[in-house]
Amino acid sequence: MIHHFEILLRDAEGALQRLLGTTERRGFRVVALHAQAGPGTICRVELTVDGTRDAGLLGRQLERLQEVQAATIMD
Amino acid sequence: MADSGVIEAAVRSGAQWLVAALEAEGVDTIFGYPGGAIMPVYDALVDSRLRHILVRHEQAAALAADGYARASGRIGVCLATSGPGATNLLTGIANAYLDSVPLLAITGQVASGLMGTDAFQEVDIFGMSLPVVKHSFIVRRAEDVIAVVHEACAIARSGRPGPVLIDLPKDVAQSRSAAQPAQRHATPAPVIPDAATLTAAVALLARSERPLLYIGGGVGIARAEAALRAFIATTGMPSVCTLKALGAAGPSASHHLGMLGMHGSPAANHAVQSCDLLIVVGARFDDRATGKLDTFAPGARVVHIDADAAEIGKLRAADIGLAGDLSLALAALEQPLDIHAWREHCSALESLYRNRYDAPGTDIYAPALLRELSLAAGDQTIVSCDVGQHQMWVAQHWRIQAIHAHLTSGGLGAMGYGVPAALGAQLARPESRVICVTGDGSIMMNIQELATLRRYAIPVKIVLLDNACLGMVRQWQELFFAERYSEVDLSDNPDFVALARAFGIEAFGIERREQVPDAIRRLLDTPGPVLCHVRIDPRANVWPLVPPGKSNGEMMDSAA
Repeated sequence: MIHHFEILLRDAEGALQRLLGTTERRGFRVVALHAQAGPGTICRVELTVDGTRDAGLLGRQLERLQEVQAATIMD
Repeated sequence: MADSGVIEAAVRSGAQWLVAALEAEGVDTIFGYPGGAIMPVYDALVDSRLRHILVRHEQAAALAADGYARASGRIGVCLATSGPGATNLLTGIANAYLDSVPLLAITGQVASGLMGTDAFQEVDIFGMSLPVVKHSFIVRRAEDVIAVVHEACAIARSGRPGPVLIDLPKDVAQSRSAAQPAQRHATPAPVIPDAATLTAAVALLARSERPLLYIGGGVGIARAEAALRAFIATTGMPSVCTLKALGAAGPSASHHLGMLGMHGSPAANHAVQSCDLLIVVGARFDDRATGKLDTFAPGARVVHIDADAAEIGKLRAADIGLAGDLSLALAALEQPLDIHAWREHCSALESLYRNRYDAPGTDIYAPALLRELSLAAGDQTIVSCDVGQHQMWVAQHWRIQAIHAHLTSGGLGAMGYGVPAALGAQLARPESRVICVTGDGSIMMNIQELATLRRYAIPVKIVLLDNACLGMVRQWQELFFAERYSEVDLSDNPDFVALARAFGIEAFGIERREQVPDAIRRLLDTPGPVLCHVRIDPRANVWPLVPPGKSNGEMMDSAA
């Protein structure tokens, strides 16, 4: 099942790597990714994933990452 | 450093700032092993008041820091060089990650200009450790070192604790700078669970006829034992616990049925299967605890309380999820309950499945030895386990009266944990007696740490249960692989008594049941480190057992 996330990511070393690694290890396939550096040090990430697990749980797991300020499901 | 914890302005090297920041964080002990890229930090340690414990393998540095943290409640710190030093830390970092232990791992790195060139002893430890750290940093400028250390320690300790890695390139450690102003982060205020959700949980509990507490290691991490015991006293609710929560309910809890799960007590598992409400506190429905998940507590509604919102609903849907401070949530739910018949039922289960120690024969019965040793050692003793059959026997038979008196590698199940964790715990709690229970497989994974015990005269008491095989694997091959034994024979083990003595550790061995009382006395009366080698039956199994993939209601016992 496809889910679309909008993520506010603090732009720190390894942040994108951590985000994608967590997504895959928690059981989702990354289908599409768009990352745009925003004003200051916040990066807006649009992430589309495919998986059968609970996307809400993935959102909470992403929000545990220190650089993730918010992970919102846009479905 | 000023007493305020604020580091005074000066020009120092990155390594000196690192050491100063650790001192400002209140760190007093670090476990490590030197090497090329971390040499500037070791140079700075010469002028520091930090106590450095030189272990004999970096894995032991991380595991000793883990034991130090669990026993003390403070952050554990380990230090290693780049490349193999860093990779050797990884098992210990993963152990801390899976058991939510506050750990700071500091690694040296090749100089910034060499990073990414496959330089000597260069590995991308930042990348390699990403899945097993709570957070990590590569320090790029010496003036950032203090701020990074304070942030790393705050992250490691706060909320659900975990390991944080700081990778420090050698040139950053050597370059001199004035530090940017930085100081310790304040402890964050506890997260108050949602009031409306609490009200709903209170009502659900009041309506329940067969409520059961499922206690997890999060209770210890959140220092919520007092609130838990008050809750049990007021509600009179029966309870079960996980491996990591043994001791949480305390000695005065009535209707506490012990550990649930694969090697749990039948009373605990039967109570879970027949309850109508599970109050889950700081537990995460681990597969070793639940057995076949879709048959776990089939008639129960679930109230799940956890500091980590991502644990709620991860494996078992919660009817009510309470993310936040465990003590506050337990206090809000506290109420007298009219559940007399359910308590009687649980008491009957407890009586029916009480442990027995009257095994036939004259060889040493490990469960009885461990029970007797724990009673003789007293409740102030800390027991550190390795991984395998002996770990489960400790869980089943050791008298544990507080969570932090039991150190075990619960999530990772890392053989080799026992001795380093014990030495870390003993350094954190010098007034306590520390006993390490290990096996002939596990102890060989970190046997070199006997040298560390000897060097620092760390008085850990080691009980080595030797069945001349990898007992837990052998047991599974016997029961679930048609007795096709594969690579489990350790009958050519070294002479462990002679080996310990070669390290300068007092040691003795026993092999008959009548030798046990004297051995316990000698073990406890020896002032320094000592090893007692105990020969046990290679065919001994851990009972009862929930077969893999089966429901907790389908326990096997020795008569099956």
